[in-house]
Amino acid sequence: MADSGDVDAAAVSEPLDLVRLSLDEIVFVKLRGDRELKGRLHAYDSHCNLVLGDVEETIYVVEDDDDEEETVRTLKKQSEMLFVRGDSVVLISPQAAS
Amino acid sequence: MSFFGFDSSRGHPAHGPGFGTAPDAFASISQHRGTGQVDDDEGIDFDDTYDGLGDQLEEADDDFNDDTFGGGESKNEPVGKDFDFFGSTSKVTGAINEEAVRYNRQQPPPKTTVAHSSPPKQDSKPYRTGYEAYKNPSYIPELQVDPGLWGTGPAKPANDYGFQQSQQGEYGSGPSQQRSSGAAPKIMMSLEEVEAAMRAQAKKPTPISEPQQQTQAPPQFSIPQMQQQLPAITRDTHQQVTTPYSHAMAPQNMNAQHPAAPPDFGSGQIRIQQRPSQQPSHHKHRSSQILQNEPPTRANSTPQIAPNLQATAPQQILQRGQNMPHQAPDAQESPRPRQILQNPNRHSAQFGPRTDGAPPSAQIQQRGPVAVPNGTNPTPVIYHPSQIMNLPEEERRLYLEEEAKRAKRNHKIFLLSKGNGLMTPQDKNFITRIQLQQLMTATGNVNEPDPDASLSEDFYYQVYNQIENRPRQNPQQPLSNFAQTYLFRTGGRQGGMGRRYRGGDSHMQRMEQQVQRAVEAAKAKPKNKQLVIEGSLGKISFSNAKTPKPLLNIRRHDSSDFASRSSGKKPQVALSTTDRKAILKNIEAVYSTLMKMEDHDRRQPPPPTNESDTLSIQAAAEWQQTWKDLNEKLWTDLKVNEPIMPESASLHPFIAFLSYPKGKKAIPRIFNHIDENQRLTILTLVLIHLDIIDVVRLAQPQPHGSQPSLMAREQVDLFLQTVMPSLFSYVTEAPLVVVIGMLGLATERLNMSAVARTRVGLEMLTMVLSRAAIIRAVEAPEDEIWNQWLAVYNSFFDTIEPLLGEIFPASVNAGQDQYVWQFLAATGSGANPEQQQRLVLAVKDRVMETLQQSKTLPPEMASQRRGNVNLFMQAIGLDVDLLDG
Repeated sequence: MADSGDVDAAAVSEPLDLVRLSLDEIVFVKLRGDRELKGRLHAYDSHCNLVLGDVEETIYVVEDDDDEEETVRTLKKQSEMLFVRGDSVVLISPQAAS
Repeated sequence: MSFFGFDSSRGHPAHGPGFGTAPDAFASISQHRGTGQVDDDEGIDFDDTYDGLGDQLEEADDDFNDDTFGGGESKNEPVGKDFDFFGSTSKVTGAINEEAVRYNRQQPPPKTTVAHSSPPKQDSKPYRTGYEAYKNPSYIPELQVDPGLWGTGPAKPANDYGFQQSQQGEYGSGPSQQRSSGAAPKIMMSLEEVEAAMRAQAKKPTPISEPQQQTQAPPQFSIPQMQQQLPAITRDTHQQVTTPYSHAMAPQNMNAQHPAAPPDFGSGQIRIQQRPSQQPSHHKHRSSQILQNEPPTRANSTPQIAPNLQATAPQQILQRGQNMPHQAPDAQESPRPRQILQNPNRHSAQFGPRTDGAPPSAQIQQRGPVAVPNGTNPTPVIYHPSQIMNLPEEERRLYLEEEAKRAKRNHKIFLLSKGNGLMTPQDKNFITRIQLQQLMTATGNVNEPDPDASLSEDFYYQVYNQIENRPRQNPQQPLSNFAQTYLFRTGGRQGGMGRRYRGGDSHMQRMEQQVQRAVEAAKAKPKNKQLVIEGSLGKISFSNAKTPKPLLNIRRHDSSDFASRSSGKKPQVALSTTDRKAILKNIEAVYSTLMKMEDHDRRQPPPPTNESDTLSIQAAAEWQQTWKDLNEKLWTDLKVNEPIMPESASLHPFIAFLSYPKGKKAIPRIFNHIDENQRLTILTLVLIHLDIIDVVRLAQPQPHGSQPSLMAREQVDLFLQTVMPSLFSYVTEAPLVVVIGMLGLATERLNMSAVARTRVGLEMLTMVLSRAAIIRAVEAPEDEIWNQWLAVYNSFFDTIEPLLGEIFPASVNAGQDQYVWQFLAATGSGANPEQQQRLVLAVKDRVMETLQQSKTLPPEMASQRRGNVNLFMQAIGLDVDLLDG
């Protein structure tokens, strides 16, 4: 019988093991190209490829007005399921379900 | 009185070194003159007159010393004879004149001195120029300072300078300086006057000059001082200058010239050092001087002139001329600084003779005594190097040696005395007291016989003590410190010593006291390193040099401490398992184990076909063993066996586990890999926590009828889809005993009102109740056990009955009450007739409403509703159709 210490060790031995704790939880993922995702993490791998469910994608678009004022516009998309290639992932953050 | 119309009544204000001092001296002189009392100064205590101006002095004005003195004199040792006084002076003439006018206009309030300090200083210099004065004794009266003269001053300077300049040109530096000093008066005088003066100088007989010099020496002029001057001269001739010039040129230089300036400690030396350069020049030029003063006269004059010249800035020369009468003071000046050196207690007495306008006779009188000492000196008073040359070899050598020593000493003193005058005696007293008090506090004198001693300085303590009227702890103690202190203080006041003495006296006494105490404390201290004051919680430890008081006292925990600590820590760990992260970790561990077990299941070896196949049997045994291990690990990961702490604020780890969707999802898989006992344990655990499990806690109907949050509903749905079937699958096979136990637990431990209002809670209860009904119908349990069940059921019914009106969710229209009817049916099926009666009464309204509403609905939905209600009705032996009928 393994004691709790072993469990901890097994559960977290590398950074991605922390991502594992967020499996099936809502996570916030920041991507390159001013994109953000929020959704339930179904799967991941060592490349940070992710599979997310019930995803809300937010895209920030900077637009120049005529006055040369920059305004940030946000686009939102809903996706039932999303595969995210890991090379675009900037960060993954557990998001307490609200 | 003086040139700038200083207020004669004002004391000498400034004290510190540097420029500021100049006005001070000047003022004092003027004061004396104004009052006309020679002895007046004796009555003036420095401390009384000190007005703190010294603190305001700007030391920064030294910057232009180089300009004034020809620059970088510190570097060039000898002060050249070719010093361009006029040139240097002319740079500042404007300012000087302006200041002069300014002074004339303002009868200055004493405090203004700081701003105007520089001009008076310059004016004061004339004192030294006494040079001319003794040459022409007859002149002095005429030259007495007339404030009126000053008025003309500013207007004329250009002319005067011109004149001076020409003179300088004529005579070369040495003589020209002399000349200039002589000419200086002309600034105030007409040309004719100047010429007359010059002529008079030339004519002046030697004898006269000699006595005058002596007379000029102030009363304080001690022999050594005189000697210092003289030797300086001698040294000049011998080029024995040992002291560096650097300090001579220090800012104090200017001040040094100033008679009254207290900080002029270096002045004496300055003169000595500087003389060498100038005096020789004097001698050389003397012969060729136009004036052709007789050597003796020159000899006399030189010593004085030399000082003046060296230190005097060009302005001094200017002013010298103006203040012919001040020449006498000039002579005094040199001694004065030296006296200050030797007597840090200040110069108060010295100012007496310094009357600017005092008639020569008066001066002579004052100086008379000085002359005597000079005479008494075995070696003749020497005013000029030539005199020394005339001395016998032995004497001369003696002289030189002595003088060298003196100069050396003076230099030493000078070096040491740079900071002199920065603090007044009172300041020093004050500092000393502070230091002593600190010493006392640091060392602590707790071991003194008198515990009050350390508090004697605390006025408030004394007052408090008096008020309290504490009896003396020690009868031998003559008087309390309070009394003593007061005695001292009042005594000082009543002593009639005058204001100025009071402070000093009491200070001295107190200092003595304190020193005594400090010594006593130091003696007593080593005995106790700690003080435990009665009634206090801690100890006070004292520090000394060897064992400083530790500011940080960190004790290292010994092993036992550690053990107790870690043991105490364990519950915390347990608690922390409810943390989100810990729970997530638990879940992941469970999943890991689950996957291993599932993997292991797939590798289950085929059951051994015959008993001889030992290999397969062994494989099966190993598999079984591994399964057990994995099962055990899974069980541990689930934390089901963590102690149940009803009072704990945190959730049971397993309940927390179930609060996560993935935890719920894991339950069906877990149930595949655990045995019956473990399932029962989980079921029991869930049941016990049914009122706080998230699907019940979060799903409580909102008071205003709105539905629980989407997330809660999702959780409930998930729970019903995952956990409930697993539990149900177990319950459907559970023996009656288990069912009885479960219902009993639920009745006893659960907050039934919370459970009954939620779908999960009701379905759980339904599950249990229906199982009991099925058992009764199918297995025909023994009466004894069945009676137990009835007892439990009765108590449950009593608990649930009052809640029956509230268990329906939302309104009738929602049509989400099927599970409620199921529950009612399950309850009713186990109830006795009397209980069924109560049941019907409790829900009658809802039944009627539902039936009523079903009539308005489409037939499909209506039949569904009626079917729900009928479920209940039939359970109690009724039928909806009866009601319709």
